Formats: sequence, C-alpha cells, structure tokens
Amino acid sequence: MAPVVDFLQNCLDGLSAGAAYALLAVGFTLIFGVLRRANLSYGPAIMLGAYAATWLFLQTGAGLLVLFAVAVLATVLAGTYVERLCFAPHRKGAAAAAMVASFAIWMQLEELATLLLPRHLYAFPALYEGGPLTFGPFFVRVESLLILLAAVAVCVAGWKVLYATRFGIAVRAVIDDPRAAELSGIDVGAVSLRIFAVASAIGGATGFLIVASHEQVTPMLGMWSTLKGMLAMMLGGLGSLPGAIAGGLALGLIEAHSQWYFGPQFRDFIAYLLLFVLLAARPPWMNTRSAY
Amino acid sequence: MLRVQDLVTAYGKIEALKGVSLEVAQGSITCLLGPNGAGKTTLMMTLAGILKPRSGSIRFSEDEITGLPPHAIVARGIALVPENRLVFPSMTVLENLQAGAYQRRSGFDDDIERMFTRFPRLKEREAQLAGTLSGGEQQMLAVARALMSRPKLLLMDEPSLGLAPLVVEEIFSIIAELHRDGATIFLVEQNAHMALRVAQRFYLMEQGRVTFSGDPGSLAEDEVIRRAYLGSSR
Amino acid sequence: MDEYAIGVLTSVGLLSFVATSAYLLLIAGELSFGQQAFFGVGAYAAGIATAMLGLPLFLGLLIAMACGAAVAALVGLPALRLRGLYFAMATLAAAEMLRILFELFHWQVEVGGEVVGPDGTQGFRGIRWVFERGVEPLGFLALVWGMLAVVLVVIHLLERTRLGSAVRALGEDPELAGTLGIDVLRLKLAVVAAAGALAALGGALFAHHNTYIEPRNFDIMLGVHTLAYALIGGLGTVVGPLLGVALDLGLLEGTRVFQGYRMIVFGGLVALLLIWRPRGLLDERVVHWLRTRR
Repeated sequence: MAPVVDFLQNCLDGLSAGAAYALLAVGFTLIFGVLRRANLSYGPAIMLGAYAATWLFLQTGAGLLVLFAVAVLATVLAGTYVERLCFAPHRKGAAAAAMVASFAIWMQLEELATLLLPRHLYAFPALYEGGPLTFGPFFVRVESLLILLAAVAVCVAGWKVLYATRFGIAVRAVIDDPRAAELSGIDVGAVSLRIFAVASAIGGATGFLIVASHEQVTPMLGMWSTLKGMLAMMLGGLGSLPGAIAGGLALGLIEAHSQWYFGPQFRDFIAYLLLFVLLAARPPWMNTRSAY
Repeated sequence: MLRVQDLVTAYGKIEALKGVSLEVAQGSITCLLGPNGAGKTTLMMTLAGILKPRSGSIRFSEDEITGLPPHAIVARGIALVPENRLVFPSMTVLENLQAGAYQRRSGFDDDIERMFTRFPRLKEREAQLAGTLSGGEQQMLAVARALMSRPKLLLMDEPSLGLAPLVVEEIFSIIAELHRDGATIFLVEQNAHMALRVAQRFYLMEQGRVTFSGDPGSLAEDEVIRRAYLGSSR
Repeated sequence: MDEYAIGVLTSVGLLSFVATSAYLLLIAGELSFGQQAFFGVGAYAAGIATAMLGLPLFLGLLIAMACGAAVAALVGLPALRLRGLYFAMATLAAAEMLRILFELFHWQVEVGGEVVGPDGTQGFRGIRWVFERGVEPLGFLALVWGMLAVVLVVIHLLERTRLGSAVRALGEDPELAGTLGIDVLRLKLAVVAAAGALAALGGALFAHHNTYIEPRNFDIMLGVHTLAYALIGGLGTVVGPLLGVALDLGLLEGTRVFQGYRMIVFGGLVALLLIWRPRGLLDERVVHWLRTRR
C-alpha cells in the first residue's frame, strides 16, 4: 500500500512543481512562437521583478497585492527593454545575434538585481500562512494549488484572447506565417512587442508566486527559471501552448519521481536525458508549430 | 495609379531589379511577363514593402510609398496575393479572411458575406483549416483574403502556379470579374496566354529590367510570348 | 611582466580554446550551448593521465583531445539532424548530463602517499605535473599561447581550402550545400568532433594551470559565455573568438572603474554591438575588406 501512496504523493508534488514550470514554459513559448527566437533573458527579467518586489517590501513592508503588481510591472519593463534592444533590431536577421544579445542582457539584469539586493538570501512574505491541506495519507500545499489555479487561469485567458479577439488572430497569424501576416496588413513588430509584454507579465506573476510560496528570494531564480522554462517548453513540443503546459507538468512529474527513486542528482540527469532522447528521436508531436 | 521609376532592389551585391520603370493605370489589368529569374517576384515583394529598394521610387496615387513597411502599404490600399498563396495553414478559412481584414475596424462581416458569395467553395469550407484545402481553393482564399482589406490596387504573383488547367480558367474568370467590378489589378504570370487574354497592358521583364511594353493584340505579341518563356536570345 | 598580467593572459589563452570551438560550430551554422562539457572532458582526461597514470603532459594533452573528440562525436551523432534551437538545446542537455556525471565520478588512487583523483562534487585536486617540473607561470603562458597559435594557424589555413569553404557553405545554407555534393551530415559530425577536441585541449591545459578542477567549473555559464565571445569577436576569422575573450577579460581587469557593475556595462555594450554588427566585430565583410587591401 505504501509504495502506491508514495507514488501518488509524488504525482501530487510533481504536478505542484510542474504548474510553475508550465507557467514559465508558456512565457517562453509565446515568445518563441511569435518571434521564432529563444529569449535567454526571460528568467533574469522575472528575477528582476521578484527582486524589485522584495526591495519594496524591505523598504515599506507593502502588502502582497502591491508586491504582486510591482513584480509584474518590473518584469514587463525589463521584458520590453530586452525586446527593443535584443529582438526588434534582429527581426530580419539571424537568430544567433538575438539570442546572444539576450544572453548579454541576462548578465546585465542579474547584476542589476544583485546590486539592488546584494545578499544571497532574502525573506519574502508568505503567499499563504496556513499549513498544507491533507486528505487521507496525502497532502498538498495550498500555495501549489494557487499556482495551479494561476496556470489554469492563464490557459483560459490565453485561449479566449487567441481565439476570440482581433489581437489573437494577429498573433496566430504571425505564428503561422510571419510573411503572410505582414502581407495581410499586420504590424509584426507591434505584435512581437505586445506578446513580449504579455509573456513578461505572465513571467512576473509566476516569479511572484514562486518566491511567495517559498517565502524566499535568491539570485539563482534567474538561471533556474530559464532552465526549467526552456526544458519544459522543449519537452512539450516547441511552439505550442498546450504543449508548454503539458511539458511543464511532465517535467514536474519526471523530477518528482526521479528524485524519489534515484536521488536529487539523478532528478536533473533524467530530465535532461529525456529531453535529449526526445530531440534525437524527434517524434512527430515535437515538430514545430502544431495547431493551437 | 501606380508609377514605378528606376527601381533598384538588391540582395547584398546582386541586383535583382536593375532600374525598373512601369505604370499601372487605374481600373486596368496590367500584366508582367518574363522568364524565371527575371525579378518579377522581387518586384512584387518590393511593391508590397517586404523588400526595401536600394534606389528608385514607387508612387501610388501621387503619394511616395517607397520603403514603407508592409502594413503601411496595406493601409494605403495595396494588397498582394503572394506567389505560393501563403495562406495561414492552421487557421480556418474564416479566420484567414478575418486576418486579411485586420486593419479594418468595422464592416468586415458584410465583406465576408460578399467573399462567400463570390467564392461559394470557400463558404462550404468555412470552418476548415486552410492547410487542408486544395491548391485552387487556397488560391481563391488568398485572393479573398487580400480583398478583405478593400484594396485599391490588387497585386497578384503567379496565381496560376501549380494549378490544373480547369482551375486556372476559374481563377482567371474571377480576375476578369473583379476587373469588371472596378478593381485595378497588377498581375505577374508565367502563363502568358491566359494573362494576355485579360490584360489591357503588359510589360515584359528580363534580367531585372523592363524590356518591352505594349497592348495585347499588337503585332509584337508572339515575340513577347516567346521571350516570356524562353528569354531573349539577344 | 607581473604575475597578475600573466594570470590574465593565461586565462585569455585558455578560454580562447573553448571560444574557438564554439566558433567552429557557429560557422558551420549551429549554436552550441555545450562546449564547456568538452572543456571538462579534456580537463578530467588530462588530469587522470598525468596525476594518476603518471603519463607525461604531451600524452595527457593528446589523450584529452582524443577523449574530447570521441565524446563530442558520441553526443553529436544522435543530434546531427537537429537544427537551430533544437540542436542548441540538445547540446545544453548533453553538457548538463556530462556535468552531472562529473559530479558522480569518484575514482581515486594513491600516488606517492597521497590520495589523488576525481572525487565527485569535491573536485579533482593534485594535477601538479606542470609545477612539479618547475615550469614558471611565464613558461606555462608560453605553452598555452604557443599551442593556441598553432591551432589558430592550422584552422586559418584549413579555412582557405575546399574543406573550409564546404564548412562555411554548410553554415550559410545546408540544403544548397547538399546539392553541391557536400556530405552534410559527415561534415557536421567532423566539425563537432574537431570542436570537441579543441575544447578538450583547452580544458587539459586549464586543469594543469589550476591544479584543481571541479564540475562547477564546467557549467552553463561558461558555455554561454564562450558562445558570446565567439559571436562578438566575429565570425569572419578564427582570430575573432580570441578578440571576444580578450575584450571581456580585458574590460574586467583593465578597467577597474567598472568594479561591481562590469556586466551591466559589458552586457549593454555587447547587445549594442550586435545591433551594429550581428556577426561580430571581425565579421566576413570586415575580413574581406581587410584582405583586399593588400
């Protein structure tokens, strides 16, 4: 009986972690789908947002709602900066320059954040003060449920925007065929900028949820978000939003089970191995631009 | 309506357009013929704003539009039906039309109805993904999508490419119909016979330059057709 | 020359090996986030060869290069058909797997009364072949730069041959290269292996310079940095990556003014530079212009 309980508990833990990964992957996927480029500054922008909120908290002790707004706003500002500097100028050029530029700004944003808050660890107010929910032998943290809820909300909102608004048509057109979109009168540059802002807003919210649920902020947040987000995006099949969610949840599950049965070092190893094998085998659902 | 003067477009060192000049009169069908590699598609892409010319000018109804980005060109009233159709494969027929109407803020529901009346086959496939349509249907969709922006000038790049003869007839009857309804069309075509049947004026382009212009029915027509397919031997 | 300058110059030389290995892949048309892993393979292989098996340095370097090429080929083969971001992510995944393997790698032997060998996350100390033979820092610097010079000259000469053109054709347009009769996959694999060997050589020298290596030395940050160096230095000439490394380390050390916000300045400059020159400072156009002035 106990191994089954462990297995199911690991599934719960995996989905909890996976919800955060899914949100990160959604941000990466939006940017990749529209711009065809990977934004290596996405994690660092999120980190800057979380740091801005932390700094404000330390200065003024502001409440969670204000901190949330600040995190989102700061991430959107950082994201817009990255888009203008690293992606807009290289729209027609090679992807390498854009990605390396976004890496350079990654370094810049991380240093900015650590100048703002030099210590290695900061406390952050808790998202939820109570303990985990228990039912039978299982327990789930309320914070994780909130993150899962956020992921669902993003999905629903995203779906509505993409399929029921004029902007959504433009976004899907650019994702499908940027040249055809240009010829239809869609300003691809403006769409890219707006999607970047949306992805950054989602990222900022995700960053806030993550640091509030862990009640701490560390400088590792930037690299961690980038790695997990990109890994989840690729696992789910690059360029599809449902794939991003699935990839994030899958990554969470894989990590939870790998860690349980094989230990923390293998947790990461297995995730990378799975990605490598999937890339090498290239199953059909992994290939670009499946229908949304 | 459209006046192109000494247009030069280059890819790096290679000049694809070496100083192209031509005119499209309002309310006419003008066609551009020429062998492969002459630069016809490059010209269309430059007119649509996808490529930026190195020098020369494009005037549309007395406005200088050289170098404007594609969405600004559409806003001025020029729409391109590109070579290879370029429909949005994972969007439905209806959504493709909605995309074409992106710049319009109102009134496009009527236009969609009008498109479906003109292209009944598209109405049947309204909710179908554009990627699953046949070549001819995609061509019709591409034309309908371009028309959704209510263009004053319609550019068409090789509408008959890859289509069966019967379908080509259908496309050209649509072109003639559009013309009858008052549209101005600038048409690039490999199929010189079909093109010369509908056009009021034609240009011949070879190796990046316009080498001939005239009306169909003039004595030079056979010569033109020969050069359009085979290129000039001079 | 003071010790500090020697240290900086040695670092520039060592990093240039791995930056040049990223350059080789870039001109073949691929981004690699994983060259740091082969840097590590070379470091561990050479360390084992000299500190544990008692082999002389030059053999250690050869073994390192062979291991680097072999591991790179092993990793590259399944990923060969991938392009763009897919290929880059495959290299990232492989590099991280290798780094985790380094963390799990324990093999220690007794040498001269001391326990020597890789000890997982604790690292591998005692790679002292160079210092046991009384080689001065200046001498080691000469060794590093001597080998780098040989490598750069060889690559430069190869770039002028049909092989070099084939690699650049591969980078410009793989489909077109295929129609020109180039065996695209074989060539790509060869470049991957060569790049692996080159990075490994750098790693081997690095291990002997530091005398101590740990898995953390070979993490993603090194990988992305070297990719950046290769691109900003310029893809027109094999000296480009060296320029990129020198710019960063030179800015770090040479201009103490930016202490504490070096990356803010450098990061911003790199992004701006890439707007002006998307293929780096010494890109193909500049190099061509320089050459035709002779």
